[in-house]
Amino acid sequence: MSMSAIASNPSANTPTLQARSVRKSFVSGRVESTVLHDLTLDVRAGELTLISGPSGCGKSTLLAILSGLQPADTGEVRALGHDLHGLSMRALEAFRLQHTGFVFQGFNLFPALTALEQVELPLSYMGLAKDVVRKRAVESLEEVGLGPRMSMLPIELSGGEKQRVAIARALAKQPELLFADEPTSALDAANGQIVIDILHRIARTHGTTVLCVSHDPRLVHHADRVLAMEDGRILSDHVPPAASAAITEHS
Amino acid sequence: MVALARKTLIYEWRRFLPAILAVGFASLLQLLQAALVLGIFGSASVYITGSSADLWAGYPGTQSVNLGRPINEDVAMRLRMDPDVVKVEPFRWVDADWRGPRDTGGVSVFVSGIDPRADGMMFSRALPLALRARLNEPGAVIVDKADLDSLGVSIGDTAAINGQRVRVVGVSSGLRALGGVNIVASLETARVLDIAPEDAGMMTYFVAKLRPGVRPKAAARRLNGSNAFGPYTVWTAKDFARESQLYWMFDTGAGAGVLFLAGIVFLVGAVITSQTLIAAVIGSIREYATLNALGVGRGSLRKVVMEQAFWVGALGLLCSVVIGAILLVIARNRSVPMEMRPLTALACLTVSMALAIVSGLASVRSLRRADPASLLR
Repeated sequence: MSMSAIASNPSANTPTLQARSVRKSFVSGRVESTVLHDLTLDVRAGELTLISGPSGCGKSTLLAILSGLQPADTGEVRALGHDLHGLSMRALEAFRLQHTGFVFQGFNLFPALTALEQVELPLSYMGLAKDVVRKRAVESLEEVGLGPRMSMLPIELSGGEKQRVAIARALAKQPELLFADEPTSALDAANGQIVIDILHRIARTHGTTVLCVSHDPRLVHHADRVLAMEDGRILSDHVPPAASAAITEHS
Repeated sequence: MVALARKTLIYEWRRFLPAILAVGFASLLQLLQAALVLGIFGSASVYITGSSADLWAGYPGTQSVNLGRPINEDVAMRLRMDPDVVKVEPFRWVDADWRGPRDTGGVSVFVSGIDPRADGMMFSRALPLALRARLNEPGAVIVDKADLDSLGVSIGDTAAINGQRVRVVGVSSGLRALGGVNIVASLETARVLDIAPEDAGMMTYFVAKLRPGVRPKAAARRLNGSNAFGPYTVWTAKDFARESQLYWMFDTGAGAGVLFLAGIVFLVGAVITSQTLIAAVIGSIREYATLNALGVGRGSLRKVVMEQAFWVGALGLLCSVVIGAILLVIARNRSVPMEMRPLTALACLTVSMALAIVSGLASVRSLRRADPASLLR
């Protein structure tokens, strides 16, 4: 996909995720530690945005707040134009059901279900017809390259394959927002490469906003944009060399 | 819809097995306990259940068949006047003291004086016709064969009841009594054995047969309407039998004991089942949290857990019904007093299913730990 194609997509330029002066503190005992310091951030669709930084820098907390899993103490969070702050737990669940996908470090697959059923499970709660659920699940599994292994249980799959099932589970919902938390940490180099490539491709081909949090330095070259975090602040916001090279090449 | 609850139950059956067994054992215990109670206390009403009468008329307010008092002969007239009554028969109850030929000391016995005719209603289900006819002989009595030892007699032996000579002319089964020994005699023999002067010539009950198709409940209600023929109460056979059983059950404290034990069984079963279900929920907590992150609501997750509890209950009940039925057959063959009625079985199974559901509700609470934010590490 070329830059002009992305530019012609109106959602590509308007940020899909916006954080304004977001602050988050945790209290443990008498000590209150601030994890996010008045953080402001825009994330755009059609890109793989990587938040990197050492552990404890607050990147997972930022992901939780941007995805509506946790409320911020102060500040404003808008996702797809919705102010997440004002939403009830039920409304947040409904929002996540319709618009978001998640990939976690642990694959969190139900041991009793086949790969196809894992993907169908969340879809079946979206009020879709049975054949639509089946079609979407099959397509997603094929997209992550697991077409031939659809009827396998998690115990029969490798770590990389399990993570691809988890990605298919998120992808099949056709979410506008896809959040990934350390998706490659439990994988070897080759499988990590496959997983990040898939996430990148999802951003490009589906126009999805992919926000990935990782301390894995290998991922930096595969992201469209890299935000470096430390101590609850964003230190830098840049386009990595590989991506900028690719963009220059395309234009 | 992906059958997550059932698939997990099958795939991780080892994890759920303790809960299934706990529900199964609890259910089996309730069933066996109920069967034993019904079997043992059923003998309190053997006079009623062993007879073919539809209605029983006796002293007003009598709580159990063994507590009857003499009633006026006019009550029999009242019964006969009813257009739906086709036959009336007297029944004489005599509390007496037995002295056997062997050294058994005094045995407290209940003498049932019945009409020995072949078409008599009393004990028509417990006495074969040939045996019944032998009661016509003066002083002839019939006992349950299981009571021969405690009475210290064999068939053909003579003994004394209230100082009067009687002879055991035969034995039957299904005549065992609660709190004493049943002796069946003819009305005439019973009259001789009854030495209490105030009872002279008085019957204890009058039992009646209704025209076929008449509802006993309606007839009993109608007959209870007036006291013009002296004080009496009319019960349907079914009601009087149940009343007698309940009287014994609570008079002996067995009823309270049964309820207490049922409560303990319920509690222990619920503790094991809920702990097992909680462990199962916790074991899948990250998967549940992931579903919640993907937008599957807490209510839907609760439903999955409750469905699991239901299936655990259903499998437990199935086990208990199969094992219970086998044990019941074995007990019958060894004349252990056990009896099961559909309604009682249903009640036991309902209690056991309630156990599973209550445990499910307890385990649903641990779903609170399914916090998707906790997956971000």
